[in-house]
Amino acid sequence: MLQYESTPYIFNLLFDIIFKAPIYVIFLEGFLLLMVIWVLIHKQTNGSRKLTEEQKKEIIKNWKPEPLVPEVDENDPTLKTRTVEGPIGKYIFVDGHKCLNMSTFNYLGLEEYPQIKKSAIETIRKYGVGSCGPRGFYGTLDVHLELEERLAKFMDQEEAVVYSYAFSTIASAIPAYSKRNDIIFADECVNFAIQKGIDASRSKVVYFKHNNMRDLEEKLIEQHKMDVKKPQKAAKMRRFLVAEGIYLNTGEMCPLRELVQLRSKYKLRMILDESVSFGTIGKHGRGLTEFLGVDKTEVDLISASLEASVESVGGFCVGTHFIVEHQRLSGLGYCFSASQPPLLTQVVITALDIFEKEPKIFKDLNEVCEKVDKKFKELSRFLLRGHPISPIKHLYLKDDKTSSETDEILRKISDQCIKMGLAIVPCAYLPIEKFPQKPSLRVAVNRLLSNEEITKAFNILQRASYEIK
Amino acid sequence: MLNYYCPSNENLSWIESRGFYLFYTIFLVTYHLILLSLPFTFFTTQMVWTITNISHNLIHLYFLHIIKGVPWISRMDDGNKKETHWEQLDGGVQWTRQRKILTAIPIILFLLTCLYTQNSESHFMANFISLIVVTLPKLPMFHHVRLFNINKY
Repeated sequence: MLQYESTPYIFNLLFDIIFKAPIYVIFLEGFLLLMVIWVLIHKQTNGSRKLTEEQKKEIIKNWKPEPLVPEVDENDPTLKTRTVEGPIGKYIFVDGHKCLNMSTFNYLGLEEYPQIKKSAIETIRKYGVGSCGPRGFYGTLDVHLELEERLAKFMDQEEAVVYSYAFSTIASAIPAYSKRNDIIFADECVNFAIQKGIDASRSKVVYFKHNNMRDLEEKLIEQHKMDVKKPQKAAKMRRFLVAEGIYLNTGEMCPLRELVQLRSKYKLRMILDESVSFGTIGKHGRGLTEFLGVDKTEVDLISASLEASVESVGGFCVGTHFIVEHQRLSGLGYCFSASQPPLLTQVVITALDIFEKEPKIFKDLNEVCEKVDKKFKELSRFLLRGHPISPIKHLYLKDDKTSSETDEILRKISDQCIKMGLAIVPCAYLPIEKFPQKPSLRVAVNRLLSNEEITKAFNILQRASYEIK
Repeated sequence: MLNYYCPSNENLSWIESRGFYLFYTIFLVTYHLILLSLPFTFFTTQMVWTITNISHNLIHLYFLHIIKGVPWISRMDDGNKKETHWEQLDGGVQWTRQRKILTAIPIILFLLTCLYTQNSESHFMANFISLIVVTLPKLPMFHHVRLFNINKY
């Protein structure tokens, strides 16, 4: 040890320290000192070397730009578009063929009612064709407020919020509640809008097998085990359950009663998309909750499209006051896109008038759906999927082929059907779907189909499926 | 909509901000002085220098070499999920000013500590090991390298 008192000069002290130290320490320290100097004077190497003028010219000469649009095969199915003329009703004109329409979602055939067109025309005289802007920004008209009131009354809920685009309804409603640290349990066959809503929420997502309650419960139990391990994280996490009333991609009905039981058992918040089931099932057309007799308080949020059975544009969400009011500031599709055009809003109000006045139409539709179900089950080359009273049904090819071959065959069958007078189309999916769906022909049932027309459609399908190999 | 590109990495922009090195120096000196002024016989000059050096290196190790990705800010793209903060610094370019200064600081601190501990053997060993631990991952050849799979996931 050195005695501080006996070393009056700092240099003496320094020399003392250095000379008393072992030799390897001196070497190491000297090496580190050199390393510091080396590090500090080392030049940054970022890989950009200096090029001469000739080299630059050479590089520019060799550069070939990629084409903006890649070359596409002339026979690509996406290039073959079909032209539809005239109004889209029970019959449509596709490429000059008069076809029975089984491809668009006009389940109730509302365009047959003259008061719908009349009310739209009257509203154009009053308001013109468009609304001014988003709902919170000069876009709210009395018709919007009236529609929200009427929808809440029709669905027997506290309040409703109307969106101007069906896709963005559920795609905004999910991220309005579910955030980064939350978890969503969703059926793997949910439609594309729901998938995008789940993506936008940035939550953790657990997909359970289609309508498989046992699988869902297993996943819930798994999550519960994790929650027990991390109680602090679990206390902050919200859990959501997302399902569709009738699945657009399969035509199956969701087992709402079981879902509701699981909801109360595992304390989930339930979001139900009734895009297909609204205005088609239930005694008054209120959808699945009415059809299965589930209490309205058991489902936290119901969202539905107004583009299918009502034949307008937009969508709506109904629920309690708190749930709906939250969306007026957090629903992105509500805040940042222009409100529904007033004439189409008026169309929905008139449609609701018809719903309330003639609840018979829903019963008629269900009967027609059952008839179609019964008849189309006899198709020899197709397998029918879908609940008997669902207005959406899917026809899968029975033969064992790869999905691209099946796509090709279905497209040809669809072309053949259109030539023979039946408009029926294969279901189109984007390649970015979460779970690839089996290729199918989608049947959309119309209330106005008579027995003869169902038989005719059946015969055309049967014949077309035999002509195409 | 989801994959927007953010040119500046907020994750590390605080290192580039003005006055960072001033804060760094003041913090280190204050910390050292506080330790020196503690009225316990345990805190001799030698011990305090070693404590300062090791705790400084521990902070370096945690903030620059252990935590990965973007833990502070909720960003949508998780492109640099597997990179430590040191690897994200200056977008991964080597030999930048930031990197040179942050590499030099622990070495200078080590040399000063050696001087003040008079190369006493036990202090030297402790300080030297802590220096190795923070300097090795800073070297350019250890960019994206995980020795013995440490901190790989």
